[in-house]
Amino acid sequence: MKTPHGRSAVQRCAVPLQVTSMMDMFTIILVFLLKSFSAEGSILTNADNLALPNSDSMKKPIAVNLQIAVTNDMVLVDNLPLLPTADIKKMSPDESNPVIPKLYDKLHTCLKLEEEMVKSGALNATDRKVVIQIDKNMEFDVLYKVMNTCGTAGYTAMNFAVMQREE
Amino acid sequence: MHTAPRTVTMKSVDMDLKPFMNLMVVLIPMLLLSAEFSRVTVIDLKLPPDRGSTPSRLQKTPFSSPATDKLNLTALITDSTVTLGAKGGFLPTVRYREYHRYTARDDHNSFTVEYHPGSTVTHPASGRTMSDQERQDILLYTCDDKGALEHRLYTPYGELVTDTEGNALAAVARGDSVYALSFPRRLIVVTDPQEYDLRPMSVYDALHNRLMKIKERYQDASDRDAIIIAAENSVVYDKIIQLMDTARKAQFPEISISKVRS
Repeated sequence: MKTPHGRSAVQRCAVPLQVTSMMDMFTIILVFLLKSFSAEGSILTNADNLALPNSDSMKKPIAVNLQIAVTNDMVLVDNLPLLPTADIKKMSPDESNPVIPKLYDKLHTCLKLEEEMVKSGALNATDRKVVIQIDKNMEFDVLYKVMNTCGTAGYTAMNFAVMQREE
Repeated sequence: MHTAPRTVTMKSVDMDLKPFMNLMVVLIPMLLLSAEFSRVTVIDLKLPPDRGSTPSRLQKTPFSSPATDKLNLTALITDSTVTLGAKGGFLPTVRYREYHRYTARDDHNSFTVEYHPGSTVTHPASGRTMSDQERQDILLYTCDDKGALEHRLYTPYGELVTDTEGNALAAVARGDSVYALSFPRRLIVVTDPQEYDLRPMSVYDALHNRLMKIKERYQDASDRDAIIIAAENSVVYDKIIQLMDTARKAQFPEISISKVRS
């Protein structure tokens, strides 16, 4: 703006930072984050190439158990690769009691270890629980062989890990 | 001491929001760190201890003793049908057509295509072959023997509309008393037939409806909470999980898994 004298008037006044809109935004973010807040964190970890199926189940895993993950290429026990999934697919589908030898041995060792821990007092009891994470595009055949192996090895309480559906 | 008379000026003073801002700046990173955006939950398989999971023991029980009060409820799923069996008999088979909903990883384009065994799915815009990892949902819709989709009414909340006998309805009129498929069934008096949505009936809803009927009829069975899900080798795991969800929604929480021998 020009004054009659031809010089621009410099307005010396401190403009306060307008934080109201920022506060609005922060409040919304805060509410959103509080909604997805979880104090426990997640017990289950899952591999990148493992897509779990969606389900309505609301049950959260409470304790850390033995984890078996079956991805498209590998079978992992407690996040360590054990055998290629193709090996399971190669097994005859018509066998009445299919047992995957490598997985059976591994599970058997784990159960022995748990029993040792019970004896030494480190664990209260072996709950024989296993969490099975299987890719949602896997055939039933693979699931059946894995479940049967777990059952034969002594892990009779099986849980399937799933993704909670968003409301 | 004498002071000069002061002129009183009215000045608007902004609230000092800085402490609050500081708090926010600390709180938001903390909440971000502990936020969970995808929740992993678990489904319990309640295997009775005497049954274990060995198939040899599983095979002995089904359908052998229809005279007892055992229900022996079984859901058989194959590539194109779902059948419910109980008390040694089978209900009419539900045939289905399979649709897959994909979400492309590159442009987040979402589309639904009918699935035919052995066929590949291509992206509608770029013609790229879609991978299994991009498949979001497997939708199963009931169809009749000739393969025509069966359309039924759904409430605005996505529940199947049934009549008093529990049959899914395809048309309603003003003033009708209908039930929405939930647990327990919810009675609705139709005020506006327009608000109901006619769409292909999902197999899971059809099964949910049938399971609810079985649950209502056989309340005194000793295994009234148990269901055996039997599947063919080639059935995709996702369908089994959806079937388990349906069973749990219809109050059959004790789920066992079996295999259909071909």
